[in-house]
Amino acid sequence: MEILNNLALGFSVAFTIENLMYCALGVTIGMLIGVIPGVGHLAAISMLLPLTYYVPATTALVMLAGIYYGAQYGGSTAAILLNLPGTPSSSVVCLDGYPMTKQGRAGVALFMTTIASFVGSLITVVVLAAFAPPLADFAVAFNSADYFSMMLLGLVAAAILVQGNPAKGLAAVVFGLLLGIVGTDVSTGIQRYTFGLTFLYDGLNIVAIAMGIFGVTEVMANVGKVIQVKSDQKITFRSLLPTRSDLKQSIFPMLRGTGIGTGIGILPGTGTSIGSFIAYAVEKKVSKNPEKFGKGAIEGITAPESANNAAAQSAFIPTLTLGIPGDAVMALMLGALLIHGITPGPNVISDNPDLFWGLVISFLIGNVLLLILNIPMVGLWVRLLRIPYPILYPSIILFIVIGVYSINYSDLDIMLVALFGVVGCVFLLLGFEPAPLLLGFILGPMMEENFRRAMLLSRGDLMVFLERPVSAAFFAMIAALIVWSIISAVRKKRVAVTKEF
Amino acid sequence: MKKLLGGFTLAIGCIVAGQAFAEYPTKNVDMIVPFSAGGGNDTFVRALQPLVEEQLDTTLVIRNIAGGGGAVGMSRAVASPADGYTLLAASNAMLTLEAMGTVPFTHDDFDFIAKLIEEPYLIAVSSESPYQDIESLVEAAQSGSVRVGASGVGSSAHIAANAIANRTESTFNLIPYPGGSEAMSAAMGGHVEAVVLGGAELRSALESGRLKALATTYAERSDSLPDVPTFQESGYDLTLTVWRGIAGPKGLPDEVKKEWVAAIQQIVEDGSYEQTANNLGTELAPLYGDELEAFIDESAATMREAAGDLAN
Repeated sequence: MEILNNLALGFSVAFTIENLMYCALGVTIGMLIGVIPGVGHLAAISMLLPLTYYVPATTALVMLAGIYYGAQYGGSTAAILLNLPGTPSSSVVCLDGYPMTKQGRAGVALFMTTIASFVGSLITVVVLAAFAPPLADFAVAFNSADYFSMMLLGLVAAAILVQGNPAKGLAAVVFGLLLGIVGTDVSTGIQRYTFGLTFLYDGLNIVAIAMGIFGVTEVMANVGKVIQVKSDQKITFRSLLPTRSDLKQSIFPMLRGTGIGTGIGILPGTGTSIGSFIAYAVEKKVSKNPEKFGKGAIEGITAPESANNAAAQSAFIPTLTLGIPGDAVMALMLGALLIHGITPGPNVISDNPDLFWGLVISFLIGNVLLLILNIPMVGLWVRLLRIPYPILYPSIILFIVIGVYSINYSDLDIMLVALFGVVGCVFLLLGFEPAPLLLGFILGPMMEENFRRAMLLSRGDLMVFLERPVSAAFFAMIAALIVWSIISAVRKKRVAVTKEF
Repeated sequence: MKKLLGGFTLAIGCIVAGQAFAEYPTKNVDMIVPFSAGGGNDTFVRALQPLVEEQLDTTLVIRNIAGGGGAVGMSRAVASPADGYTLLAASNAMLTLEAMGTVPFTHDDFDFIAKLIEEPYLIAVSSESPYQDIESLVEAAQSGSVRVGASGVGSSAHIAANAIANRTESTFNLIPYPGGSEAMSAAMGGHVEAVVLGGAELRSALESGRLKALATTYAERSDSLPDVPTFQESGYDLTLTVWRGIAGPKGLPDEVKKEWVAAIQQIVEDGSYEQTANNLGTELAPLYGDELEAFIDESAATMREAAGDLAN
């Protein structure tokens, strides 16, 4: 009965005119910001933070949170249409989303990512409402050794991401790992490969790398071609709708993606992108037709999209129930609450039930609003592809430059985008893939840091990775994955050999 | 021709004079926060932003230029023109970088306008820890060794942890975490025995009861944490404070300083900022002019000493 009372309280808070209005405002701003590649929600939320002085804490948080999860919806739009990932997690969506656009199925891809975002968010909000405190305990129980094993699993899974030549895929991962070394070493404070340049002290900017290697490369590769992607095709409403089989094929990928995203989102400091990569790898592994991936497989966009939205929602769990913000956006929201004299922690649910339950219900409303807002936009976004390339391409480059500059007000980051645009072209010519590089870049530094910290904590005892149950479970999965890969490789060879005879 | 030239001179003279007597500020003021949004430095400035905008009747544009423990943003501030339109959200981090010897500037390259708030460093343990007072933690750290989480090598919290170890004659097994969040999470999960962090960052965790502060680096017990003893009263000669304020590149016009000090004094007098500061886990401790300069010099010397063997 208590849960009903709580939900009733939540509804009574969220359904005030003021809160509804701010919720709608937040998700709309978020959606628009998400669509523009590179312009992050962090900047938008920090700019709107002063508003929290003039409205009650719950209202302020309803809006700021709306911007945050609203931006997750739009993030994949540019990735699908233009191969332009505004965030590292949407670079996963490029892999199958952009091939879908080339096949004239951009509308379907956008429609399905909206559905996937909605499913991922909705399930996680329910989980948040029901199990926030025990999940927070789970997050805290994660040790550096467990983090390391999880990331190692992610890196092994990277092998699955590779579409073409495995050796080239491995080379791309290693190149990404090497790029990740640049910057200040967390464990010792020593500068590595920064050449005395202060702008490299915190490492290479991941958004600059992702936009350069995907977006700029795409523009440069297409400059010589005059063919417009399916520009002659008439856009009917029917052509935007996913088929029954699109929906059917996506149900389990969306659920698996949501589970993965929720789990990883709870852990402070992991971000949304790792969940997307892992969700993609899992789908490719369990799929009966893994060869479809990279050529416009619907599961290849729905699973990671559910994962990153789920992670965005579950990131609220440690922030609200432990007072531990997982990233800068969560830290801003925590600050907004603190300014109002509300201290998040295990007691926030009992001390400020109107805040907690009001926020949870506002998440539900916000996600429904986003669904309603996004579906009609699909037709509009698809029409963007009809803009002639001589206008579209310079605009893309302009947006990339503005977006990257807005992160740190650094012109050197723009040079970095240009540099990685060139790297991307070289990759394209030599047949290397950019996605494994990005995964190596994201996971490498975290793996190294957690490995060294695990060694400091255990005083150099390597057995810690097998003694801790969570870590041991990850290692078991790694072993299974490797054995499975070897067996299937051997079997394939045998089949090939028998066929020859 | 002569007349024309005369006219020019007069016009130029008028412009120059006009500028000299123009009221500050005539345009937006950029405030560089040398850390990412959401950190302690950022929150304190953003809480101040609407109040300052009202007092100075201008727009404060907050620019987060993160990197290198604040080095990137501070370098940018030093290199900016000293006209009062580019200012810096300053803190101990500047003196920490200076003490570690990793940056080409010192606090003498800045003009300090005001100090606004202070917070202590705290050493905290999990509420389920076997060490429920500073004596038992120090004892354990002296015999065996205790794992202590801190955020970032060379950060002020890391230096504070080092100073605590030195003054209590203990050996800490210092475990560096990239940020306060990860360190607090590790302490709650029992992966490290203690953490050393700023009071503001620890506020939610302490208030919620997941972590317990064993000692504060303040000279006296603070009003917001009356139950937490100081290191001094526990018999260890250690006093450190985190401070935050406003600074600009060296050579700020007197008028700029005067306007800002007047604005901040008015804000302090109005009283609304004090509540905000307390909510954020900090205390209002305003200081201006010569007193401020003396305070910064002293604070720099303390940091240098605390950094000790860590410095490059």
